[in-house]
Amino acid sequence: MSRLIINELTKKYYNKIALRNVSLNFEQGKIYGLLGPNGSGKTTLMKVVAGLHKQTSGHVLINDQVLSYKTKSYVSYMPTENYLYSSFKVVDILKFYKDMYKDFRYDYALNLLNDINVKLDYKVSNLSSGETAKLKTVIALSRDTDIYLLDEPLNGVDVLARDTIMDIIAKSYGENKIIIISTHLVSEIEKVLDTVVFLKEGAVELFFDAEELRQERQMSVEGIYKEVFGND
Amino acid sequence: MISLIKYEFIRKYKLVSMILITILALNLLLLTKGAGGSMLFLVVSLSALFVFYLVDIIKMYSDDLNKKTGYMLFMTPNSGYKIIWAKLLAAIIEGAGLVLIYFIFILINGAYIVVSMGDQIDYSQIVRGVNQLLSGTFGFNLGHVLVLLIAVLAFLIAFITTVYTAMTIRKSIFSEIKFGGLFSFIIFLLINWLLSLVSDKFHDIMTPYYDSINAVSNAGNISAGGLALILLPIISVFIIQAIVLTGFSGYLLEKKINL
Repeated sequence: MSRLIINELTKKYYNKIALRNVSLNFEQGKIYGLLGPNGSGKTTLMKVVAGLHKQTSGHVLINDQVLSYKTKSYVSYMPTENYLYSSFKVVDILKFYKDMYKDFRYDYALNLLNDINVKLDYKVSNLSSGETAKLKTVIALSRDTDIYLLDEPLNGVDVLARDTIMDIIAKSYGENKIIIISTHLVSEIEKVLDTVVFLKEGAVELFFDAEELRQERQMSVEGIYKEVFGND
Repeated sequence: MISLIKYEFIRKYKLVSMILITILALNLLLLTKGAGGSMLFLVVSLSALFVFYLVDIIKMYSDDLNKKTGYMLFMTPNSGYKIIWAKLLAAIIEGAGLVLIYFIFILINGAYIVVSMGDQIDYSQIVRGVNQLLSGTFGFNLGHVLVLLIAVLAFLIAFITTVYTAMTIRKSIFSEIKFGGLFSFIIFLLINWLLSLVSDKFHDIMTPYYDSINAVSNAGNISAGGLALILLPIISVFIIQAIVLTGFSGYLLEKKINL
């Protein structure tokens, strides 16, 4: 059973506090939206869960295990930055993932890239921002793992590429999986979200079921977002 | 581990190939200048390979720690220990490979020097010819060169692990404080100071060992084996230093890293 528990998580840098006592419980079979303006702590939270940053205090449990290199095998993280080796061809990136992750579905990734017309023999450095975003999404979601963390998957991407990416994300939904998507483009993504977390200045501002709150307040998630963050 | 090492080389093979092609082109150019050109090439190429090796090994690790492409490596389910050991092993393999390539250049240029001096050359005995040339010119042979190169490689590995440790401290213990870079440089100096203290102590302890070697070797005419015995303690220190510091870096990568 896939499970992600975050308890009293704090992350400090020398001149700021990025996360303040964040406690969250993510359950399988749901797509979560991690929403908040720039600097609200979304990326930091994902990086801690992915094992790229160490928390200052608090703890994270992934499938009942504390964070370590072992928990990285349960987490597929797509950073918002362009982290792919620029000298590699697309096919080399797939081979890298195949060699490094036992759960990487090489053929699945090949088919997806073929469907969305990303050429395998292109160098990463020659890809457009839209193609890079598609490639990052495909390789992250081609791992057959428990938890997917997608950090701003729609950033810098045109409308058509956004639809493609949203389709790939929707295809990856599974009853035993947790998908967490961080974004500030709320309207683009809210239709796929089951649960929403609002982060404000490193703390959890709201944690709610998207459909329930929509009905309760008669507002879209974007409307609620504007209400919460509108004055910032 | 093998996959990690494999991708270390895949990431750099184009750069290494370019460097080797450039050195080969330089050799061909200097061969046209006669025996003097070959001698000059052996000196210049050794310096160039040495600088390239040092910069390459340090830059690869620095990029992994400081650039976003480092996520590719650190997101994988490999422990910090495994990652740093893979990097060290890749550095050793690369160093050994470059030493081997340099030896091939010595053989080729040695043979050319012998030929250009008008001597008869038996190609099955090129090694002996080069050996005689080195022996006659500098008072040492290929065996000495090999021992010295191993010692230099051990020193380099120890030095690199010290630099790796300082960089790892910067991205772990000092990643969340102001002037972390300065602190890690001070740590780097402190590590070197501590190591020199340990080396001095070790040398004192090993004095009877050196005395025993002096007793059996003639001063000024030491064999390659004798040289190896003399350098063995210091090479051992370098190896122990590399193991301890790599283990410490692995711990920091595993428990404290902030990329």
